[in-house]
Amino acid sequence: MNEQIKAARDIITGYKGRPIRIMEVCGTHTHEIFRLGIRKLLPENIDVISGPGCPVCVTAVGYIDEACWLALEKNCIICTFGDLIKVPGTEMSLAGARAKGAQVRPVYSPLDAVELAKENPDKQVVFLAVGFETTTPSACLAAKQAKEEGLENFSLLTANKTMPNAYNALVGSADAFIYPGHVNAITGNAACKKLCEEKGVSGVVAGFTANELLIALAVAIKLLEKGEPFFKNCYPRVVKDEGNLSAIKLMDEVMEPCDSEWRGLGVIPMSGMKLREEYAGYDSRIKYSMPEIKGRPNPACRCGDVLQGKCKPSDCKVFGKVCTPLHPVGACMVSDEGACSAYYQYSGII
Amino acid sequence: MSSNTVTLAHGAGGKQTSDLIDKVFKAHFSNPEFTADDAAVLPKIDSKLAFTTDGFIVSPWKFNGGNIGKLSICGTVNDLSCMGAKPMYMTCGFVIEEGFDLDDLEQIAAAMEKTAAEAGVKIVAGDTKVAGKGQVDGVFITTTGIGSVQEGADTSGKYARPGDAVIVTGDVGRHGCTILLARDEFGIESDVDSDCAPLWGTVSSIFEVTKDVHVIRDATRGGVGTVLYEIAEQSDVGITLDQTAIPVDDRVKGVCGMLGLEPLYLACEGRLVIFAPAENAEKIVEKLREGKYSKNAAIIGRVTEDNKGKVIMETEIGTQTILPQPKGELLPRIC
Repeated sequence: MNEQIKAARDIITGYKGRPIRIMEVCGTHTHEIFRLGIRKLLPENIDVISGPGCPVCVTAVGYIDEACWLALEKNCIICTFGDLIKVPGTEMSLAGARAKGAQVRPVYSPLDAVELAKENPDKQVVFLAVGFETTTPSACLAAKQAKEEGLENFSLLTANKTMPNAYNALVGSADAFIYPGHVNAITGNAACKKLCEEKGVSGVVAGFTANELLIALAVAIKLLEKGEPFFKNCYPRVVKDEGNLSAIKLMDEVMEPCDSEWRGLGVIPMSGMKLREEYAGYDSRIKYSMPEIKGRPNPACRCGDVLQGKCKPSDCKVFGKVCTPLHPVGACMVSDEGACSAYYQYSGII
Repeated sequence: MSSNTVTLAHGAGGKQTSDLIDKVFKAHFSNPEFTADDAAVLPKIDSKLAFTTDGFIVSPWKFNGGNIGKLSICGTVNDLSCMGAKPMYMTCGFVIEEGFDLDDLEQIAAAMEKTAAEAGVKIVAGDTKVAGKGQVDGVFITTTGIGSVQEGADTSGKYARPGDAVIVTGDVGRHGCTILLARDEFGIESDVDSDCAPLWGTVSSIFEVTKDVHVIRDATRGGVGTVLYEIAEQSDVGITLDQTAIPVDDRVKGVCGMLGLEPLYLACEGRLVIFAPAENAEKIVEKLREGKYSKNAAIIGRVTEDNKGKVIMETEIGTQTILPQPKGELLPRIC
């Protein structure tokens, strides 16, 4: 164990102040916190809770229904980040649609979907554009490339989301946030600083190694002890105040803000991104005159409460019984970054 | 159909079948025991015998560091070796898709010859079937092997004991990672190569140090993580790993980081997991590090009385967490 980790550990385990709640907003942080066993270090007066930062988890049920509709009714080849395949829709997941004959391909990058469209000019290809500022630029790049090349068999089903407005919706759920380093690397720190200045919301930006995550947590605890609202960038090697200007420019060129539905949080105004009018031909909903599809989540599933830190996965009565990683009922059990999946996989010992 | 591909006639049992056997298989597998009759008759072996079989359907059939032919020899040789048995004789059955390139088949047979020679095993009988286009994907191979169990060797997944050290003979997950990239589905380029290797030499080098070895298991499909869970269950013990001691190639680390995979669950085809009394562990590792296929051998953990049936990870921040078990299908058809 290196000196930095040791010092951070001492701060965390030695905390004797008032009870505090710290929310990690990012799914990758959720996973790393479990993998590293950080919760086992926490004294009783520190609670670390998971927020809505896993893109798969916050994707609304209706979105999966829309994707299944495109796959089954319009015979589109659906290209998606792999995790989304198992997320339950109202009637079925994309895996279920695949069993009914739909073509569903996992891809690593939206540009792979563009390539697939080029290779299959007689097929229609749809990329499922989900995720935060970290993945949105690559979806924009795909749309831009498709337009430049005049591709007519490629479109995007967008459900991209932006973090800053979600933070607003989460104010009050925790004493401090651990902000996702890779999101801030794109957006910069202005929104977080503004939250601190105007609403007194505290937070630290954290990286993803054991060192970076543990130090950010220790810094948050130290600053919470002082009692003043704070914002601290603990990931300066990657996150600059101004963010990634070329990614921001690209997103602004191709997409614009819109209202967006978050699983569990409902519709948050201007928290989503959709294609601009010049790219309407690449918007699957417009291209296929999609009817309004409203999803109905399984009423037994408490993913919504989990995503807001209102309950722990183990408080949900289907957790670990009918809802497991092999047979997920809710989205949070699907992705490795989902709180329910992490609780399930790392539960049951020491 | 081109004359340079396998046709249904090659599998019909007539002249073309014997031509195929002569030109491809006999040319490469020739040895005194290789039979043209219905069964090979083997000299008497004066020891306990180990006997095993394995099927190989890897896709793609050729990858960086090997091909399905090499894999089909290594798989069976390594299964025998894990039981402390010197591989002696093998048979191989081919199911070949109509239209498969004969030069490719030749390449596969050549790899089998080379690997069998290295492992000191003789291929003594075989079978060839040709399936119609689309009925199989390229070529499927089944190999069966007999080995001579060495005096004093007694290994089994049931024999892990609290206090045993857990050793791996090299970095983990390279074969699985190689196949993943060979499928070209992720647009990631890397020169990572399969660890596929015949390991009788590795096992016999351990026996030069001691035969007091409790478990030897080759970590194939499911990787080292799956093997550890199997042994924890079979021996009714707990296993605690030191995260920082597990050897992982930097390229594999990079790919796993990008794709969110755990290297412990990626397949190996040339790595053994060994459980031995702790007092012999250092000596075993020292010896292994002299070997061609085990230069990065390391002690990665220990067996415990508690946490029965579980694999616990000691993390780099000094906490203990459970090693999560994989969820369903990670990679289809890797071996």
